[in-house]
Amino acid sequence: MNLAEELEALLPANESRFFGELHLSRDGNGVFMACHRADLEMSETLTPVESLAGLREIAKFDANKEYRPLKTAPTLKGGWKTSTDSAAEFLKRLDCIYPGVFATWIAYHRGTHHPTPLRDTLDRQTGMYRFAGSITDQMANQIMRDTCSAGCLRKIAWPISNEAPVSRLKPGMKSIPVICTEACTFAVSEARKLVKEAYDKANPPAEN
Amino acid sequence: MPVSKPDSALLILGHGSTENPDSAQPSWEHADAIAATGQFRSVHCAFWKEEPSFRQVWPMIEEAEVYVVPNFISEGYFTRQVLPRELELEGHTTRHGNRTVHYCDPVGIHATMTDLLIKRAYEIIDEGVKIEETALIIVGHGTNLNKKSTEAITDQVEAIKKKGEPFAEVLDAYMEEAPFIADWRTLTDAPTVVVVPFFIADALHSYQDIPVLLGIEKEITEAASQREVFRQNPYHFGDRTLYYSSAIGTDPSLAQVIIDQVAYFDEHYLS
Repeated sequence: MNLAEELEALLPANESRFFGELHLSRDGNGVFMACHRADLEMSETLTPVESLAGLREIAKFDANKEYRPLKTAPTLKGGWKTSTDSAAEFLKRLDCIYPGVFATWIAYHRGTHHPTPLRDTLDRQTGMYRFAGSITDQMANQIMRDTCSAGCLRKIAWPISNEAPVSRLKPGMKSIPVICTEACTFAVSEARKLVKEAYDKANPPAEN
Repeated sequence: MPVSKPDSALLILGHGSTENPDSAQPSWEHADAIAATGQFRSVHCAFWKEEPSFRQVWPMIEEAEVYVVPNFISEGYFTRQVLPRELELEGHTTRHGNRTVHYCDPVGIHATMTDLLIKRAYEIIDEGVKIEETALIIVGHGTNLNKKSTEAITDQVEAIKKKGEPFAEVLDAYMEEAPFIADWRTLTDAPTVVVVPFFIADALHSYQDIPVLLGIEKEITEAASQREVFRQNPYHFGDRTLYYSSAIGTDPSLAQVIIDQVAYFDEHYLS
């Protein structure tokens, strides 16, 4: 099955699922519809947004007009809905809100896309991020707790290192999993910051 | 010239930004324009600092043949080191299982960029401005850390000069190395100066930093998409007149340059 067929199979007619902060549904005629899960009771009054560019704009800013560089931050704004009878088009629209998240889940579930350990991600960095790989396990846990869990809807599927396996994530009954198979630019930046802070603390500037 | 790749995917790579909401916008606009032409079976974007990231994009692409075009201004650290590493590419063509990936040259080094810079300069100046009394400055980032960073700009300046355009002068200038764009008043004594930023997007550098260096803003403004005041050329500084263009990468013609890089790949690198 291709990705659009996978989406059709996960969302048969007259069914619905949650996907991050989205509520996905399909009516008796097979038409797909997505809206913010907080807007479920008011779907008749929502503004239809049918263009990819329009949906990207919705994902770009939160309700306070703050930029959302991380699309899986728990700050998706509501007030809109999008619908189409094409699974392929619906997938493109979902990718505007959560880029690549559906494809990542399907590839992970099929076993064709494997999580990358955090230390592999950090160790291959160069330039200003080249020291990020020297984080301690304690710092790694701090990143997972304070950066990832606190600011992102994705469930971590990667281990800290090859020697620290994590259990595989399973499909939900009522939701399509939103998973993270590799630490993103925010986690890498945080690793660099923690390493730099520890270095600066251990090597204070000499007093005159 | 259009290409016909009904079974292939096109992947456009951009830098993106965690700070500025406008950095990825040109890549998406070019992707949408190319997708509408139907020249590829699918068109995707991926970014260093935004989503989908270079590491997230492969599961989205279902075609067995993929053309990857960096929407970057120059060859250098990103196109030679970061992008191949993150996408796991080696050389011009990489085979990953059943997938064949063609890694094209970045848009900024395509020969048609020269005409695009000239076109952009003529577009923004007002009717009646004497070209022979007008200096054209192509501005780039520049950094003392990498000697090659200015090459893309100096190459374009030389190419524009060779075309025999009647500008009084054609100059290069940079944000962070000499000749500094902040010195534009002394770099040339032409009464009218047109500045075209050789950047991919109207983001942090070309929209927020350079206007301060030019003197058309007193301090760094909000990002373009978060600002209610629009800039209006020209700007007058005593008896001098300054025109400041949007970044060259925002020109809709860049969509064709992306396609041209695919055609160039087929002509020169396809094995």
